[in-house]
Amino acid sequence: MELDGDAHKNGLALRGIRVLDFTWIHAGPSATRILSDQGAEVIKVESNNALSVIGGPASATARGLGQRHNWNAGKLSISLNMKTAQGIDIAKRLAAVSDVVAENFSGRVMPSWGLDYDSIRAINPSIIMLSMSGFGRTGPWKDRVSYGQTLQAWSGFTQLTGFPDSDPSGPASAYSDAVGGMAGAQAVLLALMHRARTGRGQWLDVSQYESLSSLLETLVLDMSVNGADAVSTRTGNRAPYGGGAPHGAYRCRGEDRWVAITVFTDEEWRALVDAVGNPQWADDPRFATGDGRERNADALDALVESWTVQHTAEEVMGRLQAAGIAAGVVQTGEDLSRDPQLKERGFFRRVPDHQGEERTIESAPYKLSRTPGSVTRGAPAFAADMTYVLRELLGMSDDDVEDCAIAGAFD
Amino acid sequence: MVVTGEQANTEPALPLSGYRALDLSGPMGVYCGKLMADMGADVIKVEPPGGDPMREIGPFVGGQPGPGRSLYWLHFNTNKRSITLDISTSEGAAVLRRLARESDVLLETEPSGYMDSLGLGYESLAADAPGLVYASITPFGQTGPYRDYKASDLVGFAMGGYMYVTGWPDTPPNKLWGSQAYHTASNRAYIAILLALYHRMMTGQGQYIDVSMQEAVAATTEHVNTTYNYTGESAVRCGFRHGGQFVATWRCKDGYASITTNTRAAWDDLRAWMDRDGMAGDLMDAQYDDHFVLRGEHSAHIEELVQAWALLHTRQEITEFGQSNHHPWGPAATAEEILGNEQLWGRGYLTAVESPDGVSMVYPGDPYRLTEFQQPVRRTAPAAGEHNAEVLGGILGLSAEEMERLSA
Repeated sequence: MELDGDAHKNGLALRGIRVLDFTWIHAGPSATRILSDQGAEVIKVESNNALSVIGGPASATARGLGQRHNWNAGKLSISLNMKTAQGIDIAKRLAAVSDVVAENFSGRVMPSWGLDYDSIRAINPSIIMLSMSGFGRTGPWKDRVSYGQTLQAWSGFTQLTGFPDSDPSGPASAYSDAVGGMAGAQAVLLALMHRARTGRGQWLDVSQYESLSSLLETLVLDMSVNGADAVSTRTGNRAPYGGGAPHGAYRCRGEDRWVAITVFTDEEWRALVDAVGNPQWADDPRFATGDGRERNADALDALVESWTVQHTAEEVMGRLQAAGIAAGVVQTGEDLSRDPQLKERGFFRRVPDHQGEERTIESAPYKLSRTPGSVTRGAPAFAADMTYVLRELLGMSDDDVEDCAIAGAFD
Repeated sequence: MVVTGEQANTEPALPLSGYRALDLSGPMGVYCGKLMADMGADVIKVEPPGGDPMREIGPFVGGQPGPGRSLYWLHFNTNKRSITLDISTSEGAAVLRRLARESDVLLETEPSGYMDSLGLGYESLAADAPGLVYASITPFGQTGPYRDYKASDLVGFAMGGYMYVTGWPDTPPNKLWGSQAYHTASNRAYIAILLALYHRMMTGQGQYIDVSMQEAVAATTEHVNTTYNYTGESAVRCGFRHGGQFVATWRCKDGYASITTNTRAAWDDLRAWMDRDGMAGDLMDAQYDDHFVLRGEHSAHIEELVQAWALLHTRQEITEFGQSNHHPWGPAATAEEILGNEQLWGRGYLTAVESPDGVSMVYPGDPYRLTEFQQPVRRTAPAAGEHNAEVLGGILGLSAEEMERLSA
């Protein structure tokens, strides 16, 4: 792509970048949504054979529809039948005019279409290819199959997350996919910078297993130095290596209402005691020092909760924040939709879908002063952009398009 | 003169070789600094005299705190340099301002308004350094009614909506293991910094980045917002049953195993295996044919049968059967199993490194592989002020006396 300095003054860091996007479900589409928000033209290659997968064009559930819009807002959609020679040919011609090709299939798929990195590079020498897979494309586990939950289990996250005295809970959702999406976007951006400096593209081999493992902090380091026994396992809501009490979720007035409170310093402790109204229990000598509070955290938690249950979570947050203590409502989906902070910052956006219906999507969780980015529409309808892509981008004639259609290339 | 990555005339050894970043961040941003440093940026950790408080966060070598013994510090500050500088003094602030002119990125996690109060806010520094990318991570962002609210990792996780859904229906809401709200904020900030650096390559313009930890978490929950916004119902806690769907983890003979029945074939293979063990109950009936059945009215009944069956088998049996049939099934690994993991070693993700004190350590690697580069751990974390002379003398040309006075 040509680098057009003027375009970059229009508030979009990636204007002029084209992404040929074979990704599906969650991790891949959330990576390319990050790029699309900043002006990259993302062309989703979809298929009649996968209409109802999560986030697919005909998502079976309301939640799936939400995920369709949330991770595909602003993108274009074409339908290609990769079982036909014509479908593959069109994909190759698109790869030739793209900056990035993204995919999160298992390792066999792209080579079977002649669209592995080496083949694409032969067509487009400076291409950046993002391959997102469960375990990476090398190593003894490269052909293993995974979902987000599988990776969470295999990485240790499932076993490590939860309270010590109950079954582990693991992450409630596909943290692994979200993390993979962030990693994929970062890798593409690093590669775009490298290409701008050297003119060279490259292949990005993202193992979502490694992306997730890289968030295990000191786990491996700790075991390697101190032995496996030293490692903290499930610690509920306490910090794994200590460093504060009270530190947890406390029940509040109402049905399943909770507030998170964390106190680390003596100053914060005194502020908490004051905010609670100097109850007698706070004078207990067990709680006089930080060490004492941590050692007696169970008893302290019960006493703190005896206060919080008398109040709404919002009241507790307001009162403790006014006293300079980190406290926050354990917010539900409904709470988030009404959160005055998120509202003021415009976190949720309403954008029209292809039928003009307003859809709610999340914004990027960062604000860039010069390139705020922009998302003005929801996910595309299935195959909504055939004319633009085939006629304008590839310059195909009516006859070409018709021949391909007869051959089933768009089925 | 600003030496920026764009002007580097040698072949970059790593994607961010030639870029310099000042890392003034605490736990909310320290991982972002690490991501930059591990990808080749010259990241200078700016510590207060006496050392950063993060040096006192555990775990510790041998369980004993002390200089150089915090594994937290050693992990999150790989490949960084360190200077000690009291930026709350006017002299220290002036030095930071000069360093900012020689840098490409500044990363900070101070409460909103604090850097401005030192004369070190974005507007002020950008006046001298228009190409500077200045990233601030705060709990709730620089604007809005909660901009001055405090948050820890736990509070960020709660306010971002991830905590309410994590845990079991009969437990309190739960955080993820580790400080994942902090790291999510860092991950998001890093994306924003890379976007800004790319924009700067094209235009020469720097910019200001305002990252909210709450929003970073809220954009990472997968289903919390889409469920409420598209169904009007708040998602609830359901342990490792992943929304009561066909993606679930089960107690088995020797721990836990994840069995995802994402396809009809996977579901049929599972219930046929249960049937062979005489544990399928009525699940072979046609009414259970659709693998989406796990979401429906029979979900409790099915869960009971699958759970009773899973206890007959080990993690390895379940994993091998699933993987050999191309189903995404796998074990819940324990911490000890990760250290010896053949895939993580096989790809060079785990690396054995010797610390300056001669301790052998295993370091985790980068979250992705860029095939144009080798990505080794080049340097463990620095001692406090280890690079004062290199940075303050070498980059700014301060004299030994000036440096002495600054770091006292």
